Amino acid sequence: MKSLFKSKPRTPADLVRQTRELLIFVDSNSNTREDKRQEKMAELTKLLRELKSILYGNSESEPVAEACAQLTQEFFRENTLRLVIICLPKLSLESRKDATQVVANLQRQQVHSRLIASDYLEANKDLLDLLVSGYEDPDMALHYGAMLRECIRHQSIARYVLESDHMKKFFDYIQLPNFDIASDASATFKELLTRHKSTVAAFLTKNYDWFFAEYNSKLLESTNYLTRRQAIKLLGDMLLDRSNSAIMMRYVSSKDNLRILMTLLRESSKNIQIEAFHVFKLFAANQNKPPEIVSILVANRDKLLRFFRDFKTEKEDEQFDADKAQVVKEIAALEPRDRS
Amino acid sequence: MVQLQYPLEETSYQLLEKIGAGVSATVYKAICLPMNSSIVAIKAIDLDRYRAEFDDIRQEAKTMSLLSHPNILKAYCSFTVNRHLWVVMPFMSAGSLQSIITSSYPDGLSESCIAFVLKETLNALLYLHDQGHLHRDIKSGNILIDSDGSVKLADFGVSASIYESKHTSSCSSSSSSMMLKGVAGTPYWMAPEVIHSHTGYSFKADIWSFGITALELAHGRPPLSHLPPSKSLVMRITSRFQISDYEKRNKEKNKKFSKNFREMVASCLDQDPAKRPTAEKLLKHPFFKNCKNADFLVKNLLRGLLTVEQRFKKNGLDCPSPIHQESSEEELSSVGDDPIVKHRRISGWNFNEEDLQFSPVFPTERVESLIKSHEEQEDEFIVKQVRFGGESFFHDLEFGHQQTDSVQAQTTPVAHDEVITVQSTIDEPEAERSNVVGMVSDMGANGNLGSDDPGSRIVTVPQSMVSTLTWLKRSLDDERQIVSSLLANCGAGEAVGVTDTSREEQLQKTIEQLSLELKEEKRKNAALEMVVGSLRKRVQDQ
Repeated sequence: MKSLFKSKPRTPADLVRQTRELLIFVDSNSNTREDKRQEKMAELTKLLRELKSILYGNSESEPVAEACAQLTQEFFRENTLRLVIICLPKLSLESRKDATQVVANLQRQQVHSRLIASDYLEANKDLLDLLVSGYEDPDMALHYGAMLRECIRHQSIARYVLESDHMKKFFDYIQLPNFDIASDASATFKELLTRHKSTVAAFLTKNYDWFFAEYNSKLLESTNYLTRRQAIKLLGDMLLDRSNSAIMMRYVSSKDNLRILMTLLRESSKNIQIEAFHVFKLFAANQNKPPEIVSILVANRDKLLRFFRDFKTEKEDEQFDADKAQVVKEIAALEPRDRS
Repeated sequence: MVQLQYPLEETSYQLLEKIGAGVSATVYKAICLPMNSSIVAIKAIDLDRYRAEFDDIRQEAKTMSLLSHPNILKAYCSFTVNRHLWVVMPFMSAGSLQSIITSSYPDGLSESCIAFVLKETLNALLYLHDQGHLHRDIKSGNILIDSDGSVKLADFGVSASIYESKHTSSCSSSSSSMMLKGVAGTPYWMAPEVIHSHTGYSFKADIWSFGITALELAHGRPPLSHLPPSKSLVMRITSRFQISDYEKRNKEKNKKFSKNFREMVASCLDQDPAKRPTAEKLLKHPFFKNCKNADFLVKNLLRGLLTVEQRFKKNGLDCPSPIHQESSEEELSSVGDDPIVKHRRISGWNFNEEDLQFSPVFPTERVESLIKSHEEQEDEFIVKQVRFGGESFFHDLEFGHQQTDSVQAQTTPVAHDEVITVQSTIDEPEAERSNVVGMVSDMGANGNLGSDDPGSRIVTVPQSMVSTLTWLKRSLDDERQIVSSLLANCGAGEAVGVTDTSREEQLQKTIEQLSLELKEEKRKNAALEMVVGSLRKRVQDQ
C-alpha cells in the first residue's frame, strides 16, 4: 500500500484538501448511493491514516518538519478541524482514532514558530463547546475528550473553557457511571485546574464561591469513593501550588472547609486519609487562624492528638513525619482564647 | 456494528465463582441478569490498594474500550462499586494457555495447536501494531481461549501507544519518535533491547516475546525460566542467549518440531530487532500455512480440561501463599534508570500466574522463598550489571591484575580464572557466579587503594575488605544451600516424570565448583585477614 502511494506523490497540502473534500461530502450527502458512500469512506480512512503517518512518522521514517508545517498550514487555512469534529460520529472506529491523533498532534505543530492551532481555536471557540459536550455521548466521549485535552494546552483556550458554563458540568461528568468516560473527564478537569498557573489562579479567585461550594458538596462529600479520592488529591495539588497561595489562605480560613477535611481524615481509606492530611496541615499551620478555626481545633485537640499519634504512612516518609510533628506541635500549643 | 450496552451497576450482575486472584484484584465468573443471564468475567480491582494516581488505569480502560478486533479481549464496560473498579469482560471459559499448559500439558502443546493459537495471536498483534500499540507483555498467560476455540490476546496493563505515550519524544524533536524507553513486561519474555531500554525499542520487541511464547507453548515453559526473573535478565545480557542451547537442552524430551517452526522462532529471536520480521511478514511464514481451525483446538486441546474455576480452586489449595502471589504480580517492575512503575493491570485475568513459581518443572523457583533475602541483597548487583553490561568488572579485574602488591599477587590470578569459567560455561549458575566476580573485583579495587596509600587508609580499607569477604562467604554459603535444595528438588522432579539427567550432572558439577570456590574464598579470606592483622600491627607500631 505504501509503495502504491509513493508512485503518485501527493503533497501534504493535497492530502489535506482531499480529506476536506471528502469530509464535506460525508457531512452533507446522506442520500447518495450506498456503494458510492462506502467508497468515499474508505478513501477518507486511508487519507486520515496518511495524515497521521506524516505527522508521527512510521516505522520506516521520522516525521519531516517541512511536511508537518505544510500539512498544518493547509489544515487550519480552512475549516478542516471543524469538519473533522462534526463528522467524527459518522466515521468508523479506526478512523475516529486516527482523526483524534491527527487533531491532537496538530495542537503542537508550529508554523513560522507560531502555534496556529491556537489562533484557529480562538476564532472558533464554539468547537470547544462541542468537544466538552462530547462527554455526554458515550461513543464520542473518549475521542472528543482526548482532543479537548490537547486543545487546552493553549492557555487562551484553557481560559475560555474555565470561564465557560461548561466548568460546572465537569462536576457531573467526573461522576458518570462509565469509568472510562468519568476518568477521562477527571483527567481533563485536573489539567484545566493545574496546567496554566496564572490562569487557574485568576479563575479560582474570581469564581471562588461557587467553585468551592460545588467542589465540597459534589466532590469531597460525594458518596463515590473514587470521586472523593481524586478530589482530595487535586485539592491538595491546587492549594499547595505557590501561585494559588491567596486562594489557599482563603480556603483554610473557613470552618466549613475544616469540618469537611476532618471528616475525610476519619475515612477508612488510608489513601484518602493521607491526602486529607496534606490539606488539613494547612489549616493547622496557618499562623493567622481565625478564632472559629482555633475553637474547632481546641475543642477536638485531644481527639486530634490521639489520632495523629497512630497516624502513619505505610512506607516511611520523612516529609510526612516532619509535617505531622509540626501539626501536632501547633495543635498542642493552641489555647482557648477569645482574642487574637 | 451495534455494541450491546452492558449495565453499569452492581445489581445487574451476580457473581458466581472466583476464577483468578492477584494482590489487588479478583476475577469472577458472573452472570449479567438483564442480558438473559449471559456469562461474563468480572475483574474487581481494589482501588484502595492502588497508591498512585489513576492515569495508567485510565489509559488501560481507554485502550480496552477503543480496541476492536476478534482476537483481542475487550472490556464490555467498567464502573466503580464502592472501592472497587469492576471491569466486565467476555468469559473465556478455557482460561489462559499458560493455565491450560500447567494443568494438562506440562511438556507443551502439539505443533498443530501451537500453529493455530499463534496465528490468532499474530492477527491480534498485527492489528495492535497497525494501531501504533505495543502490547509489551506477550506470553501464554495473556492468551485466553474460549470453549469454541477462539483465541484472544489480553492484558493491556503495560501496553503503550507510540502516539500517546509519555515515553515517546514529541514529534518535532530529532530523536526517534517511534521508540519507547520504559522497561515493561515479564523478564523471561523481554527482548534484549527492552532490557537495555536506554537504546529504545519498538514493535519488534513484541515479536521477540512472541518467539519466546512459541517456545513456551512448545516446551511448557519459557527459556531461562529455571532462573529467577531478575537473573534471567542478566543472562540475556551477559551471555548472548542462543536458542540452539535451549533446544539442545530440550532434546531429551523427545519432542521434534518441524523445520518451519524452528525457523519461524529463530527469526523472531534475532538479537537485532531490525532483522526480526514484522507481524505482517510473520503471518506469511510457511509455518502458518494450512493452519488448523478453532474446531481442531476444541477437539484436540480443550477436551477433558478442568474448568477455570476448578483449576483456580485446585491452585488455591496448592499454593495459598500470598507472598508468591505478590511476587508474581510485582514481576513487572522495571529495572534501570527509569522510575520503577508497578502496574496493576485491569484487563488480565491473573490466571495462575503463580504457577510459574510452583510448577514442578521449575525446581529453582520452588526454593525462591529461600533465596528471597539473599536475592534482595543481590538485586543491587544485578541492577549494576544490567546498567554497565559486562565490561565494567572485567576492566576492574585487569586493573587489579597490573598490581604487584603481595595481596594482589595472591588474589588476582584466581579471580581471573573465574572470569574464564564464567565465559565458558553456558549453564544456569553463570549469573550467580558473575556476581561473585563482581565482588572479587570490588574487593580487588579496595585492596589497591589500601596498598597504594598505606598510611592513612590502612585501618578503614582492610576492614571493608574483610566485610566484603564475609559477605562473599555468606553469599557462597547461600548459593551452596540453594544448589543442594535444587538437587533435592531434581530428585522430586524425576518422580513426577521429569527426566533431565544432564541437568542433574550440570548441577552436580556446579556444586563441586561452588564448593571449590568457597574453599578458595575461605583461603583468601584467611590470607587477607593475616595481612590486615600485620598491617594493624604496623599501624600500632608506628
